[in-house]
Amino acid sequence: MGEDRTLETIWNRRSKAFRKETLPYFRYMGQSGFPAFMSLILISSAIGYISLIRNLPANFPITLVGVVSLLLVLSWSPLRTWLEAGDIVFMMPREAEMDSYLRRSFLHTSLGCSILAAIVILLYLPIYNQGPAVSGGWLLALAAAVLKAGNVWGAWRERQIAWPGMRRLMRLLRWAGTALLLAAWLTCLAWQAAVFTVLVGLLLFFIYRLPARHRFPWERLIEEEARTRKRYYVFFGLFIDVPTLPSSVAKRSYLTWLLGVIPYSNRNTFVYLFTAALLRTEMGGIILRLLFLGCLITYWFSEAVSLSGWGCIIVFAIFMGLIAVQLGGLRHVHRYSVWKHVYPLPEKQRVEQYVKVDRLAMVICAAVLWIFAELPLALSNVYLPSLTAGAILLVYMSIRPARLRKKMLADEDEE
Amino acid sequence: MESILQVSALTGGYSPKRPVLHDISFEVKAGEMVGLIGLNGAGKSTTIKHILGLMKPQSGAVKVDGVTLEENTEQYRAAFAYVPESPVLFDELTVEEHLRLTGMAYSVAGNAYDDRVEDLIEQFQMTPKRKAFASHLSKGMKQKVMIMNALLAEPPLYIIDEPFLGLDPLGIRSLLERLVEVKQKGAAILMSSHILSTVEAYCDRFIVMHHGKIIALGTLADVRQAAGMETHSGSLEDAFYKLVTGGHS
Repeated sequence: MGEDRTLETIWNRRSKAFRKETLPYFRYMGQSGFPAFMSLILISSAIGYISLIRNLPANFPITLVGVVSLLLVLSWSPLRTWLEAGDIVFMMPREAEMDSYLRRSFLHTSLGCSILAAIVILLYLPIYNQGPAVSGGWLLALAAAVLKAGNVWGAWRERQIAWPGMRRLMRLLRWAGTALLLAAWLTCLAWQAAVFTVLVGLLLFFIYRLPARHRFPWERLIEEEARTRKRYYVFFGLFIDVPTLPSSVAKRSYLTWLLGVIPYSNRNTFVYLFTAALLRTEMGGIILRLLFLGCLITYWFSEAVSLSGWGCIIVFAIFMGLIAVQLGGLRHVHRYSVWKHVYPLPEKQRVEQYVKVDRLAMVICAAVLWIFAELPLALSNVYLPSLTAGAILLVYMSIRPARLRKKMLADEDEE
Repeated sequence: MESILQVSALTGGYSPKRPVLHDISFEVKAGEMVGLIGLNGAGKSTTIKHILGLMKPQSGAVKVDGVTLEENTEQYRAAFAYVPESPVLFDELTVEEHLRLTGMAYSVAGNAYDDRVEDLIEQFQMTPKRKAFASHLSKGMKQKVMIMNALLAEPPLYIIDEPFLGLDPLGIRSLLERLVEVKQKGAAILMSSHILSTVEAYCDRFIVMHHGKIIALGTLADVRQAAGMETHSGSLEDAFYKLVTGGHS
C-alpha cells in the first residue's frame, strides 16, 4: 500500500509540474487576441446553432451528423501518463505496481473526454429529437457511456499491441465498429441496437485478443506523452517562443520528389534544409491540414456564393493568415543547430534562401486555396471578390519578404 | 610537411576567471594522424570546441589551413570536417539526404559526389538504411552517417572525437581503413579517443592532456621519455598511466 501511494504521489507531482510549466504560456495566450477570437467564433457558432435547431431544414442529415460528431468524441481516447524516456530505467523495475499509476491517468483523461462527449450529446439532442428519435435522451446517453468505456478499453488494448500495422488496423476497426453502433442506436429500436452492440462488442473483444501485445507498453506510452506535450508547445508557439522539443517527423513520400528537384549546389544548401524541414516536420503537417480544411470550407462558401461571394474570401483570408503564421515558424527551425557552426554552410545566404522557400510555399498554398475560391464563383459569374483577394494577396506577398528578413536579423541580434 | 592545424599558446574555457585550457600549443601536419588523449575532464573536448570555433580563446590563436576563424570564416570551416562524440543529425533527413546536404555545404563536385556516396554507403554497410530517417537509426548507425559525411567532404583536416563509441567491429575497421587512406592522400587527422591501443597503432604522434595542460607531446618514444620510461619499450597505455598518476601505482 505504501508503494502504491508513492507511485500515485509521483503521478500527482508530475501532473502538477506540467500545470506549473504550462501556466505561463496560458497567460501569454490570454494576453494575445486569441481568447477574443475564440469568443467570436463561439458566439457566431452559438447563433448559427440556435437558428439551425429553430429552423432545421427538412432534408438535414440528422443521423449522419450524429454519427460523425459523436464518433469523434467517443472514439478519440487519449491518455496522459506523464511518462518520460528516463522511466524505462527508473520506473520499469516497478512495472508490477504501475496499475495504480495508470488508474490515475485513465480517471484524469476519461473525465475530460466524458465532459466533452456529454456537451456534444447535449448539443445533438435538440437536433435528434426533431427526427425519428427512436430512443430517448437518457437511453442515448447510457449507450454513449457504454461506447465510451468500450473505446477507452479498446484504445488501451491498441497501445499494448506490439506491431504498429496491426495497431492501426485495430484502431480502424474500433472506429468503424463505433460508427456502426452509433448508426444503430440513432436509427433502430433500443433492444435491436443493444443486441447489435453486444455482438459487435464480443467480436471486437475476441479480435483484440489475437495480436501479440506487451503487458505494459512503455515505449508506446512514452512516445504518446511526448507527442501530446509537443502539441501543447506547437500551440503555445503561436503566441511566444517556446522550448524546442524533439521534433516528430513524417515521411510524406508523396512530397519527397520536391527535395529531388532542388539543384545540387552550395548556394541551395539552406533551400534544401528548409524545404526538408517544411515537408517533414509537424509544421508541414499543420500547414497541409490547414490547406485541406481551408480548401473544403472555402469551396462550401464559394459554391453557396455566400455574402455575394465575399464569404469565401473571408474564409480564404483567415486560412491564408493561419498558414502564413505557421510558415513563419520555419525561421526558428535549426536556429541553434551545431551544423550551423561546424559545417561550412553558406551563412550569408541563409536569410535569402529562407525567404525563397517561404515565398514558394506561400505561392503554392495561395494558388491552391484561390482556385477553390475562384472556380465556383466564376461558374456563378461572380469575379470581383476573388480578383480583389488575389490583388490583396499580391500586395501582402510583396511586403512579406522584407518583414521576414527584419525578423530574422532581429533573431540573430538576440543570439 | 605543411601544417594544417596550428594551436598557439591557447588559453580558454567557459569563464575568464577559471580557464580550462592553459597555454597549449601543438600542430597537426598534412599526412599525419595525431592522437589526443587524456582522462575525462582533461580538456580534450574544450580543445576541440576551440578548434571548431564554438568557444572563443581567452588568449592565443587557432589556425586551420593558415587562417583564423575571424580572418576567413568560410575558408576556415570548409578546411575541416568534424565527427562529434554524440552524432548530431537532422531528424527530417534520410541518410542519403544528409550526404547530399554535406556535399552541397562542402561544394563537392557532382561527379565526385556520386562516386564517393556509393563507395561510402557500401563500405559502411548502410545500403539497407540509405533511405532511413536519422531518428530511426541506432546510435552506431548515426555515428556512421557522421563519419560518412566527414569522409565525403575530403577536407584537408579531420577532427574526430571518440569515433568508436557505438560502432560495430566492421564499422571500426572501415573507419580506420579510410582514415589511413585519406592520411596517405595528405589529409591531417586529429583524433581523440580513450581506446589507447588503437590510438597507438594508428597515430603518428600523440598529445597527452592533463588538467588542461599538455604534459607530453610527440612520438611514442617522446611520450615514453616524458613519462620517465625507456624510449624503446612500453606501450602508450603504460606511459599514459605513469604520466597521469605521476608514476605512482
